[in-house]
Amino acid sequence: MTHDHAVNRREDLRLITGRGQYTADRVLPRQLYACFLRSDRAHAEITSIDVTAALGGPGVVAVLTGADAVAAGYTQFPNLMSFTGRTGASILKPDRPVLATDKVRYVGEAIAMVVAESAQAAQDALDAIVIEYRDLPAVVTAHDALDADAGQLHANVPGNLCFEWETGDSDAVHQAFAKAAHVTRLKVLTTRVAPSPMEPRACIVSYDAASDSYDIYTPSQGMVMLRRQFATLTGLPESKLRIHTYDVGGSFGQRSAVYPEHGTQMIAAKKLGRPVKWVSTRAEGFMSDAHGRGLEIAGELALDSNGKFLAARYDFLCDMGAYLTPTGSVSHLRNPATLMTGVYKIPALYGSFKVVLTNTVPIAAYRGAGRPDIAYAVERLVDRAADEMKIDRSEIRRRNFIPPDAFPYKTPTVGVYEPSDFAGCLDEALKVANWTGFEPRRAEAAKRGKLRGVGLSTIIEATGAGVFPKDQVAIEFDADGKIGVYTVSMSSGQGHETTFASVVADTLGVPFASVTLHECDPAKDLTGNHTGGSRSMAGAGSVCKLAAEKVIEHARPIAAEALELEPSQVDYAEGAFRSRDGEKSISLEELARRLAKRHPHPMNVVAEATVGSTWPNGCHVAEVEIDPETGVTRIAGYVAVDDCGVVINHQIVEGQVHGGVTQGAGQIFGEQVVYDPASGQLLTGSFSDYYMPRAGILRDIHVGDHPLPSKLNALGAKGVGESGCTASLPALANAMSDALRPAGIGHMDMPFTPSKVWHALQTAKSR
Amino acid sequence: MFEFNYIKANSLNDALKSVTEHPEAKLLAGGMTLIPTLKQRLAQPSHLIDIGGLQELTGIAVTGGELVVGAAAKHFDVATSAIVTQAIPALAALADKIGDPQVRNRGTLGGSVANNDPAADYPAAVLALDAVIVTNRREIKAADYFQGMFATALEDGEIILRLRFAIPRRAAYEKFAHPASGYAMAGVFVADMKDGVRVAVTGAASGVFRWTEAEQALAQKMSGEALDGLVVDLTNMNEDIHATREYRANLAKVMAKRAVQKLVSSTQH
Repeated sequence: MTHDHAVNRREDLRLITGRGQYTADRVLPRQLYACFLRSDRAHAEITSIDVTAALGGPGVVAVLTGADAVAAGYTQFPNLMSFTGRTGASILKPDRPVLATDKVRYVGEAIAMVVAESAQAAQDALDAIVIEYRDLPAVVTAHDALDADAGQLHANVPGNLCFEWETGDSDAVHQAFAKAAHVTRLKVLTTRVAPSPMEPRACIVSYDAASDSYDIYTPSQGMVMLRRQFATLTGLPESKLRIHTYDVGGSFGQRSAVYPEHGTQMIAAKKLGRPVKWVSTRAEGFMSDAHGRGLEIAGELALDSNGKFLAARYDFLCDMGAYLTPTGSVSHLRNPATLMTGVYKIPALYGSFKVVLTNTVPIAAYRGAGRPDIAYAVERLVDRAADEMKIDRSEIRRRNFIPPDAFPYKTPTVGVYEPSDFAGCLDEALKVANWTGFEPRRAEAAKRGKLRGVGLSTIIEATGAGVFPKDQVAIEFDADGKIGVYTVSMSSGQGHETTFASVVADTLGVPFASVTLHECDPAKDLTGNHTGGSRSMAGAGSVCKLAAEKVIEHARPIAAEALELEPSQVDYAEGAFRSRDGEKSISLEELARRLAKRHPHPMNVVAEATVGSTWPNGCHVAEVEIDPETGVTRIAGYVAVDDCGVVINHQIVEGQVHGGVTQGAGQIFGEQVVYDPASGQLLTGSFSDYYMPRAGILRDIHVGDHPLPSKLNALGAKGVGESGCTASLPALANAMSDALRPAGIGHMDMPFTPSKVWHALQTAKSR
Repeated sequence: MFEFNYIKANSLNDALKSVTEHPEAKLLAGGMTLIPTLKQRLAQPSHLIDIGGLQELTGIAVTGGELVVGAAAKHFDVATSAIVTQAIPALAALADKIGDPQVRNRGTLGGSVANNDPAADYPAAVLALDAVIVTNRREIKAADYFQGMFATALEDGEIILRLRFAIPRRAAYEKFAHPASGYAMAGVFVADMKDGVRVAVTGAASGVFRWTEAEQALAQKMSGEALDGLVVDLTNMNEDIHATREYRANLAKVMAKRAVQKLVSSTQH
């Protein structure tokens, strides 16, 4: 689309000039302030807790503990796992009172909440709470948690193993491996990371006694999914819960869940009859916001003598932290299972999964939610196979791509891929990156004492199919004939205000300025899915188009009446209804204005559609240069060619890819949550110790669109929110391997920190 | 943050009087370490005595063959001062790489030197340039001043007024920034002084130190290769989740070589 309005994001001026409305900015009349006392140990029994002194503190109104959580019955968090395990057993769900009762299971777990007249007073009173603990042995890795003598987190989760699952055909894989000419094996880790959105978590809960209902002000990824989770946690009907979300400063999956703090504030708001506000500090965020990734994946690939893939099997160890979040377990199983075949035709596949609990912050979906993890495992395995079999890395991929005539392609596990052009993306990316001209660049770098490498990834993703069976969008006209679009998706940086409005404006042929998006208005009775899993453009975005089309059909007889014609004699184009002969016309805006006095406005519509998974795919090529003296890596070049379907706004696609690739680069080069294995203490509890990528990490990137329109939704969009993360993890790691291989270094896990790279080079040198 | 009283000192005497009156008070200059510490409730001073604007602590000049910089000079002032850039360009370059623009426009030379963070940049320059720390009571030579992690020769109620730097023939500073915090993981200041070469290392160990073996080697031959055979002593190197002792020692050596290369290629004097 070529309209001028599609160029710049309309939300940016508001957001970058400090006029955003975040939850922490909101002040409700008579609000109280909450602070949480958090566990300073990883695993311990709480033998006693005394809040007497804290209650007597100046300005203190209440102190809540685990007893209040149990009294309210807020002890079971929702979990979206929809299938049973290996033996037909459901996932074992440990109790999780919103405040810890008899035990704490990770550093940062909330134990008590002080409510006071000021945040200062609440914080002061925290120090007066006296707790006695009896320490228990802590386990901070999934491996250690499965040890026979490991400490047990939960009585109802024997061996800390809460779920075992398998997918694919074990026998077929076994037979294929038996006749393979070559087998490549590789175990990889996708490290545990702290999503760390710019806006800390925050929430205000207000209780209305007259209607026995709650207003909950919180950043979210969409009110319908969050409301359902609140209802599950509290046992309250959804009609008693109104979620208010305004601007959201980043999310990355972390805000898809209801949190213990939410539930605790509800208890307090009801008990005290006043709104209760809490704003997290950054330090609290590191120890209580859901973490991401944390998978160990052992992969095996069987090949024939020509490098054709015969079978693959993967063994997944999924660290879920101390409790199950709503999203973590299902997304870390279903998404890898769906995408285990990558972009390749592999006749036989098998995957087995263990879901394990550890004394760490619970894990939730995080930008890609298992998709980057499996892409990382597959693409590193393929690169290793190419190296072992001495086949060019692009050639081995070409030989195994699912061919164009195989679509729709039913994978041996659970997905059906829509048409994709893997070879086309690869060709374009290799050309832009000058893949074939790489060796002279390596040689030139070597003259300067640097190790240069190039790597690629060819990836596919399944976007979120959605928790709710349909997505609804309302279009409503105001008194001036201007258009309001209502969705229940929620932008946390995706630019919906620009893209959704432009979809509607373009479909109706009206000025962009006359269309305004309203997300998550609690007064609107709409259903639909949250923003997550790269699905909003394909889901809510495509329903925006359907809604606009519905407006035209809905308004046509009204326009015909106004023009004194039969509806069949009225055409719609460029924002106006016209008679066939062109003699009579009325603009949509004028028509809407004339009817403004009628309530509801007769041209208002609600459209809906069921939109399942789409299949964004692409090829990324990364070039890196390592300084062997310091181990520092510079990203020397980066090319992303993505098929995200029909592009509504290239600048926003670029922004998504820039952000996703940078996030991937952060994880590859440094981001990692580290716990002390002996004590279970969090060692990366601030930005002094937790590495976040700076803008300078990615100085130059080429983003190319290679769109193959999706036939699975009205817009033809496939999605782009997560592909940058999914493709960059393997592309960058493969480039690092390529740079380090000549120095004698085989496999290395992320993160490729300067220190780790330097040590690997020293070790290789001394061999 | 706990509650405290704020006192804006109008003169040095005023500040000293307040310090005497309030034994639990803290001096505040740029506040780049103190304010975050307060926000995390890691300190609870009764008073903050703001000395950031004191006339007695300002001014940058070359006097008697030395560069004199007031303790209240902000990093930005040092980085952009024509006098500093002329006299000791390496010092201006060092100041220009401290923290980020916000820190450089608040943080002060005196504050950094008084705090003596083991990963701060200034201590390397102060030690390598054989600076004199001038306080309200006395003059302290750099060699006597730094006493390990966050420890200095300053006594209670002693306020740094200014620093006097000897002007080297040539000098250079190179640092390796910590990937997360941006502080120096190893920062090396090499100064070619009239009476010899001085090499000071910050960030790598529990406190700034002189690498005397490097000084001797460079006195023989001022070139990066002169350091090739040397090894930085591992004994006092820091070790944490980000870097081993060995890696930090390596960084100190690599940064030293790079500083020497920069120094050799500089056109000063």
